[in-house]
Amino acid sequence: MSWVSPGESARIVKVLDAVEPRAKGDGAGGVFPGFLSPARPVGLGTTHVLRGAAVVAAGYLPRAQESVVEMSGEAAQLSPLGSTHNLVVEFEPSSDASWEDVDTALRRGLLKLAVRLAEAALEADPTAVEELPAAPAQAQDDRPRVAAITNLQTQGTFKDVFVYGSSMAGSLPTLIDPNELEDGAVVSGQYGHPGLKNPTYIHQNHPVAAALRASEEAELGGVIICPEPVDQAQKELVSALAARLCKTCGFDAAIVTKEGGGNADADIALKVDALEEIGIPAVGLFAEMAGREGTAPPLVAPPTKATAMVSTGNYDEELELGEVERALGGERIDLRDVDAHEAMEIPHAAIYCALNPLGWGRLTCEDAT
Amino acid sequence: MRIVHYINQYFAGVGGEEEAGRGPELREEAVGPGKRLQSLIGDEHEIVATVFCGDDYAAGTAEAAEEILSLTDDHDPELVVAGPAFTSGRYGVACSAVVAAAHERGLKAIASMHEDNPGLQDAGAAPVIESGESARRMKGTIERLAAAVQKLAAGEHLGEEDGRISRPRRVNVLADAPAAARAVELVLARLGGDTERTELRPPDFDQVTPAGPVEDLSEASVALVTEGGLVPAGNPDGLESSRATLWLRYSLEGRDSLPEGEFESVDGGFSTEAANEDPDRMVPLDVARELEQEGAIGRLHPEYLVTTGNGTAVASAKHFGVEWAVELHKAEVQAAILTAPGSPPSS
Repeated sequence: MSWVSPGESARIVKVLDAVEPRAKGDGAGGVFPGFLSPARPVGLGTTHVLRGAAVVAAGYLPRAQESVVEMSGEAAQLSPLGSTHNLVVEFEPSSDASWEDVDTALRRGLLKLAVRLAEAALEADPTAVEELPAAPAQAQDDRPRVAAITNLQTQGTFKDVFVYGSSMAGSLPTLIDPNELEDGAVVSGQYGHPGLKNPTYIHQNHPVAAALRASEEAELGGVIICPEPVDQAQKELVSALAARLCKTCGFDAAIVTKEGGGNADADIALKVDALEEIGIPAVGLFAEMAGREGTAPPLVAPPTKATAMVSTGNYDEELELGEVERALGGERIDLRDVDAHEAMEIPHAAIYCALNPLGWGRLTCEDAT
Repeated sequence: MRIVHYINQYFAGVGGEEEAGRGPELREEAVGPGKRLQSLIGDEHEIVATVFCGDDYAAGTAEAAEEILSLTDDHDPELVVAGPAFTSGRYGVACSAVVAAAHERGLKAIASMHEDNPGLQDAGAAPVIESGESARRMKGTIERLAAAVQKLAAGEHLGEEDGRISRPRRVNVLADAPAAARAVELVLARLGGDTERTELRPPDFDQVTPAGPVEDLSEASVALVTEGGLVPAGNPDGLESSRATLWLRYSLEGRDSLPEGEFESVDGGFSTEAANEDPDRMVPLDVARELEQEGAIGRLHPEYLVTTGNGTAVASAKHFGVEWAVELHKAEVQAAILTAPGSPPSS
């Protein structure tokens, strides 16, 4: 384990999951239910957050695609980990361990470490206190109630997301309280498409839920989590049911997010279309896959009825990274087959969370003049 | 300005499909549609050379665009015009490759084709001006192209009003607010009835008309092709696991199946475990050979073509598709089985 901090001439490569250190005080239940505490509803009481820190796993796992975090330079602002103090966990699997077991152990270890760090600060005076009321069952005023529909990737081992400790695969859309996310009800085990990743850290700080909470003109209605099935009929079923759940809850509009590449575009497109079809205005967050030059069609499965889309940037466009003094997570960048310290050109797709589908980042696309 | 014009073998008047394999040649004058273009752009601009090439060669050879441009090196072109290609797919792909390469060289470049042409998306940052559907619309098409060439030569921007159909280039920038906050703004606008506001416009995908059924499969040559990233173990030619920029071919001669350990999938988009345990599940050589021996199919094409579908830009995929079609067409293949991977159903 080693620390790396913002501004250092450093790079983390082969970044897997990242977790924000959080803990419950005495008698308030646990965080990461289903992993470190019983799988019972969370989201009540006091949660202690070690803001500005992250616990990060970095190293080789099968199906994980090359991902990079820059701690300094222009690219540092493209990843949430570029501005946190990161405790980086590197690992060497036992020769007789299966990769599935390595993954499980790594996740458990990472979560435990995050809790341990936060617990170390339990006695300290908080620098800030936030009160996060549960999402109200009815409208509190005349503001529209907006749902955050959050698609979770469910494509098998190393591309899976856990809810209360179990894979979301095979589930139907589920309404949860945004505060359940705060206590780690959703944990990532998804290592594909680094630029399009939603690590546990970002689920703990759900950007759409936070933006709706901060809005004076809209109210956060609730969070609806959905799997991203690999089968078209299941995608359609889940999308129709998510739209119906919004209607049942009386939500006035919805913001739909995904995790992953082109396959997951279909899940957003089907949902925003299903919502608009039953009269619920919907916005989808998409990343563009417009080729290196930005001239190719940006989406593989665009919506046909919904019109409002946010762009989180073109993942094929390349950017330059400078040379760094320190590299963590591995010796080489496989994608470019270069030493991890070297300067290189790399697509935004490889920068951890650069096009974050949950809406964390500021990256977007414009038409060139 | 000194202009080089690119056209195909047909519009150069050297032949039809039988000449499609012909390599590039240069004439030091305006040829075919270039003559009318020259008369419209006046004395100020001169078509100093015309390069023509067979459609199969131009669309199916990786280095064709560079070869075409290098022929013009002695003529110091300042501007490259390609087409009009109308709806002709291979011609459109070639026109786009030529103008994209010319643009990369720092030359002004412009192509003309119909909006349904599959080459449209390959033109890179070079503008593409709309043509009619076929050569019957040559007159209006050349007039529009001539006007656009004059504007481009004058350093002016070409927009929709000039018949530009290529999408403007998308560039990454940092917005003032995070995407989630922008989504809230957008959802409020949408609630207010605004159906125009968006940060992204959906692409228009063309519809491909399927080829007619194979008349007699027992006489047909059948190819196996895949976007499942299946390559010889160790991936000797470096196929990408995602965002592919190339495709490869591997021989099936002398094989009745693809054994575990000799082939593997490098595709990063699905769990490759089952494919690697039995690579025939990705490229079904075992059953295809059985069908060949039974006489159900005439002949199995002696090699398979492969790329990776995961995260691959639509423009690249289209390009590969055209190249594969040319390749298989040349080899007189009548049918192809394209396998694509998927993850196992959710459990």
